[in-house]
Amino acid sequence: MVDALRRAHRMVTRNGAVVDVHPTDAPASMEVGAHVIGDVDAGDAPLRHVAAEAALKITVDTGLFEVDTVVGFDFYTYGDTVEELRDYIVENWRNARIDDDVVERAERALRGARVGVRPCVLERVCLTTLRPIARIEG
Amino acid sequence: MAIDEDPEGHEAAALASAGLSFMSRRVLEIGCGDGRLTKHFARVAASVLAIDPDREAIAQLAGDLPMVDARPIAVDELVLPAHSVDLVLFSWSL
Repeated sequence: MVDALRRAHRMVTRNGAVVDVHPTDAPASMEVGAHVIGDVDAGDAPLRHVAAEAALKITVDTGLFEVDTVVGFDFYTYGDTVEELRDYIVENWRNARIDDDVVERAERALRGARVGVRPCVLERVCLTTLRPIARIEG
Repeated sequence: MAIDEDPEGHEAAALASAGLSFMSRRVLEIGCGDGRLTKHFARVAASVLAIDPDREAIAQLAGDLPMVDARPIAVDELVLPAHSVDLVLFSWSL
């Protein structure tokens, strides 16, 4: 990760910017109608997100970049059904799954929800903009 | 499948609130996937080079956004001249 940031530093112009968008280490959660049903088992994703944060810090601490802006936001992924959402997570997220008990509770909540409510997964995401402040030669 | 990612547009809003302008900028996007973020700036940027090792996703992006130079490679395979892009965007890929 640090190497990727070093490459970015070499490629970007002096007045340019490097932008990183990645989820925080907060657990992603299954929600129905704004009610939190349970967490998504995201495997090693929280560790990877912590590592990404650490890589950013290293490049700042070593004088490669300075942090310009940090913006947090919520990222929702919706499915038409709980099963569809569960399958999507399994197929598209690395080593992730939604436990059966969370699926069952979400389906129960969906049956009791008003028409049009769709199940969703919420991720907390952080966007960081970095300004290059030094050059690595060679 | 009717999966909707970020239909509220929070991600694009976060880019805007960070004060980022893609207008007439040379953009390198790393981990572009199928272009979920790319579509927000592809038409206003001076150029966009978007990379991702996922060949299927890159093929979809190339079909949807033909103005983008989409390449199925990882960042460590990318060779670019020094100081040749204005913005480097790591899209959930760091």
